[in-house]
Amino acid sequence: MIKVLIVAGMVPPRTAVLVSALRQLRERGAQVRLACHFPLSRLPLEDGLAELRSLQAAAKGAGAAFRAAVSGAEPARQVWLHARRDPWVREHARTADVLVALDQRAVHTVWQLAQRHRGCDAVFGLTPAIKAVDARLNNPSRAGRKGALRTPSPRLLVSETRHLSRDTARLLARAATGRQAMRTGAARAIWRATVSTPGIPDRVRVKLAKRVEDSMIRVGHLASAAAAANGAARHLRDPRMRAELFKPIVDLDLKRGRLPAHLADAVTGELYDAEALYRGFPPTKAATPVAQAFDRLFHRALHFDSLMSPLAKDPQGFLAPLHNSMMARVLAGNQGRSEPAAPLPVDRPQRLLFPIGLNDNFLTPIRQRYESMPGIEVRYLDLSPGTPLRTFLNRGRERLIAHRLAGKSQYGDRALELFGPDLEWADTIFVDWCTVFAGMLSLVDPRSTRVIVRLHSYEAFSWWPHLVDFTRVDDVVFVSEHLRELSIAAIPGLRRPHGPRTHVVTNALDLQRYVRPKSPEARFNLGLVGIGAIAKDPRWAIEVLRTLRERDARYRLLLIGKDPDPTVSAAAQQYCERYERDLAELEPTGAIRRIGQTDDVPAALAEIGVILSSSVRESFHCALVEGAASGAVPVVRNWPFFAGKPHGAHTLFPREWVVETPQEAAKRILAATATEEVWNEERQAASQHALATWDWSVTQHEYDRLLLDPAAR
Amino acid sequence: MISHRTSRFSRMSLRAATRRLKRAGDKPHVIYLAIGFPPAAKSSAYRLRETANQFCAIGWDVTVITICQEAWEREYGLDHTLSEAVDPRVQVVELPLFREDLETDIRAFSEARSLQPQQWIDERDKQEQKIFPEKKFGRWRFALEKALLRVHRERPADLLMTTCAPYVNLAATWKLWQTYRVPYAVDFRDGWSIDVINGNEAFPPDSVAGRWERRVLDHALSIWCVNDPIARFYQERYPHLADRVRVVRNGFDANSRPTLVRRPDPADGLTFGYLGSVNFPPAQLNAVLNAWRTARQQDEVLARSRFEVRGHFGAGAMREANAHVELLKAAAPDDVIFGGPVPKAEVGATYARWDALVLILVGGRYVTSGKVYEFMASGLPVLSAHEIEHDASNVLADYPLWTGACGFDPQRLAAAFSQAARFAIEATDEDRAKARASAERYRRGALLAPAVRHVADLALGNHSPANRTSGAPSNTIRNQEPQI
Repeated sequence: MIKVLIVAGMVPPRTAVLVSALRQLRERGAQVRLACHFPLSRLPLEDGLAELRSLQAAAKGAGAAFRAAVSGAEPARQVWLHARRDPWVREHARTADVLVALDQRAVHTVWQLAQRHRGCDAVFGLTPAIKAVDARLNNPSRAGRKGALRTPSPRLLVSETRHLSRDTARLLARAATGRQAMRTGAARAIWRATVSTPGIPDRVRVKLAKRVEDSMIRVGHLASAAAAANGAARHLRDPRMRAELFKPIVDLDLKRGRLPAHLADAVTGELYDAEALYRGFPPTKAATPVAQAFDRLFHRALHFDSLMSPLAKDPQGFLAPLHNSMMARVLAGNQGRSEPAAPLPVDRPQRLLFPIGLNDNFLTPIRQRYESMPGIEVRYLDLSPGTPLRTFLNRGRERLIAHRLAGKSQYGDRALELFGPDLEWADTIFVDWCTVFAGMLSLVDPRSTRVIVRLHSYEAFSWWPHLVDFTRVDDVVFVSEHLRELSIAAIPGLRRPHGPRTHVVTNALDLQRYVRPKSPEARFNLGLVGIGAIAKDPRWAIEVLRTLRERDARYRLLLIGKDPDPTVSAAAQQYCERYERDLAELEPTGAIRRIGQTDDVPAALAEIGVILSSSVRESFHCALVEGAASGAVPVVRNWPFFAGKPHGAHTLFPREWVVETPQEAAKRILAATATEEVWNEERQAASQHALATWDWSVTQHEYDRLLLDPAAR
Repeated sequence: MISHRTSRFSRMSLRAATRRLKRAGDKPHVIYLAIGFPPAAKSSAYRLRETANQFCAIGWDVTVITICQEAWEREYGLDHTLSEAVDPRVQVVELPLFREDLETDIRAFSEARSLQPQQWIDERDKQEQKIFPEKKFGRWRFALEKALLRVHRERPADLLMTTCAPYVNLAATWKLWQTYRVPYAVDFRDGWSIDVINGNEAFPPDSVAGRWERRVLDHALSIWCVNDPIARFYQERYPHLADRVRVVRNGFDANSRPTLVRRPDPADGLTFGYLGSVNFPPAQLNAVLNAWRTARQQDEVLARSRFEVRGHFGAGAMREANAHVELLKAAAPDDVIFGGPVPKAEVGATYARWDALVLILVGGRYVTSGKVYEFMASGLPVLSAHEIEHDASNVLADYPLWTGACGFDPQRLAAAFSQAARFAIEATDEDRAKARASAERYRRGALLAPAVRHVADLALGNHSPANRTSGAPSNTIRNQEPQI
């Protein structure tokens, strides 16, 4: 009987193939044994196909020296170290006719066994195993070779000696730089000094420093890890090597919701790496490091889940690593268009194209107006989930980057197929949100179609505008002046000499529907509408409430909308913990009431006497303006992201609406609600201002000018 | 060490082979650098065999250079029935070259390779590309160059016909041109600088591979491609060579046609078949199998039908153990049968057992495949499981029993299975005859003969090749002395 010993280094991904091969071996009368480097429960096989053995189970109870040897060894060597100490393997390898490696990790084990038992066949793969068995069946004299080749191969001695010396050196090095060692302050100090010692070759320094840094991070000594990375990086010139050292610290900081001190180093290194790949072939390989640089630079913990964003504070300084990189210049785009936007047609209706289905919250009144306007034809590009376009957009960022780097791609061809004909049909396309679709639009030459993109606020803190080729965009619309300022500072494509025209046109809001009578009890109800994002900072509103209630316990805070989600990041979780503590204190007393989400915002606003904008960042804050229109007294925090800038809440709204601190807010509320008459007077004035300034009946003409005026093209 | 064999593949000693070569008379002599020549069980073997036979048919002596039979054992194996139709006058020189990445004998591994098999291959690929910019094959360059020069010295060639892949053949071609100015033509088949699967450029003109390609093509008498899109790509990439680029489509071999026409029996269910080397991704096969399952739920006839998949799956350690085979074996409860490769001599009989064919192809507009012609010649209904915009769609456009291409939409693919079943049941003998007749224009011999005659004429000076950039006489050099 032919004996076959198969070694599997990992769970076979193709069970049906394995079962079929085992059956074929059984049909040939072979006795099959299968040594697995994983728990046997992960390989359910029918009885009688093979005798199974778990190498890991056999190694249970092994000593520390074995564990240490295994922990640092390559995966293939780990399998062998387990197999070597298993008497079952040793016994059956001795008598096997055919040794089989089932996967790459098992090859070394079979190689080692084959050096010891030179009479058997040693093959890689199941089909070669069956062929070896067939060859033995067809030529039984092969078995006679076994006796003649019982002595181990001389290669074995060389191999064993090499491994012994290498393993010993490695174990010593690992022990000295391992977690156990890093628990002692003296070891950390020694290694910090060692990795900073001059004269060490760069590659050795990086490897050693990374190991030391990793061990320090694992045992929780982050300051030491950062110091080691810093010390080593001081001796490194190559930005990629520096980034290698800083990336673990940076990622840890981001994960914990903190602004990393070496974010710029990590991003610069990543972009250098991208540049090197871009110069190679295919240049599209650079897409991955570019995407990783974006992920770090625009991490949500920095811009969305914190109460300040480094990008808002100093857009050009913060984005300097990106702006100064070659990749930014390549991605900023210079594809241009084959012809300028054509004048409006005179012999047929004007054709407007709206992409819809991603977030239409701010688009509906605009769509409806032009849908019903004579002389206008409206068509939609449906980007809703499940549509071919949405499928195309999903996970398209890297493919878009790759296209922009290569200048052409099948992805670009597909874009042309999907929305090229509609783009060709339209005189004007209006893309709301400067996000994924605005990026994808850069894949296609718009030819004579005018392209208008509207940027709200969120996008300015994301990578998307950096992937838009603004040489293919005619107009960019902002909903406020301060967003225009920030965006122009952050996005180089917007400040090019022949860049797109920029406009400020406020959101399209039907404010009339919020005008409803309020009961006198509403006077003491403060309202905050929309609290789902950390940027809404409801804790600032709670602070206002606390100040008010020190004076008058009748004031209450109504929170409308979904609570912020603590699971999105550590920064969000930290905020939410504090927010929940506030609620736990004030909700039971009735000082705060959470209304939750509602479909009838006008009805909810009817209960509110004072509408708050407590946000750290807004582009326009529709909910505040809707509240003001409803007849609530508006109190607006001077949004900190823009407070020190030429424009912000302080220039968008009447000066008296805007406050700097919770105390100032409380003061304004106390004054505006001092009596019912004062309150009525204040709120009516605010409502009239809102309606006269921002109602759709007023602002729609600005959209008409933008979209329909021939002079605007 | 080079071994020679005649087309009957009896191995000859080098000295005997040399004598035989030298004995040959004044017939023109073509060296055909054709790695994959029968008995290699490669999909290209049919084209290579026909090319050699066509040269014999017009009175040329043909010496084929390929690699040894043992080497093919590591890949898709051997099919000796392929050799039966090789013209007996063809002489074959076998070189002991192997693809080391496909080695499965672990005793032949170094310890370093045993520890990191994939990294070892990757590193080798990297090193190999320093010799010639082609993974897996670059290292063959010097052996091929040496062999080609030696065969030419033994019996001067009037023409070198080179076929790729592997592209390292171009290095040997260039060496023979540089040394002896032997005119050559390149059967580029799927091209090199075009990635036919993704439709992109595979490498830029100023890369090492790009420079090699241009250098060799610049002096070629003729450049063959298998379809119009690839030919157009080359005509656009090298406008100065446009008139030398020629489409030489693959075709079908007459003996691949089923001799008997099977009468489908709906009560017993139908047999769908796929036959071919597999180079499409597992996801594509999965889509087809899912559509098959859906179709069986929707169609009673299909519910009692079978789907037989035959062909070469994987090579080396992964031979018949790759993800495709896993999918097929796991689909056994759905009456999917995996049967391994079919010897060439049995292809006709295999089609004769089937009622409809499933054409699964990778790529898009740059891919035609050879299989499509054979499928058409069978006269059986053909279900397309490939991109809509695919060159196979152009070939099948007027095939009356074609379901049309619908991409990989599961519902439409399932409907295509039902449509193919209806074709199989309802098609009359006349319909089938019409279907077979529509393939007539794709007989392999008829497609290759004019191209071979053309290139033979060019080599012998019956036509002047346009715009030879070297200025060297291209046709009558039968000189054994190296050009200095």
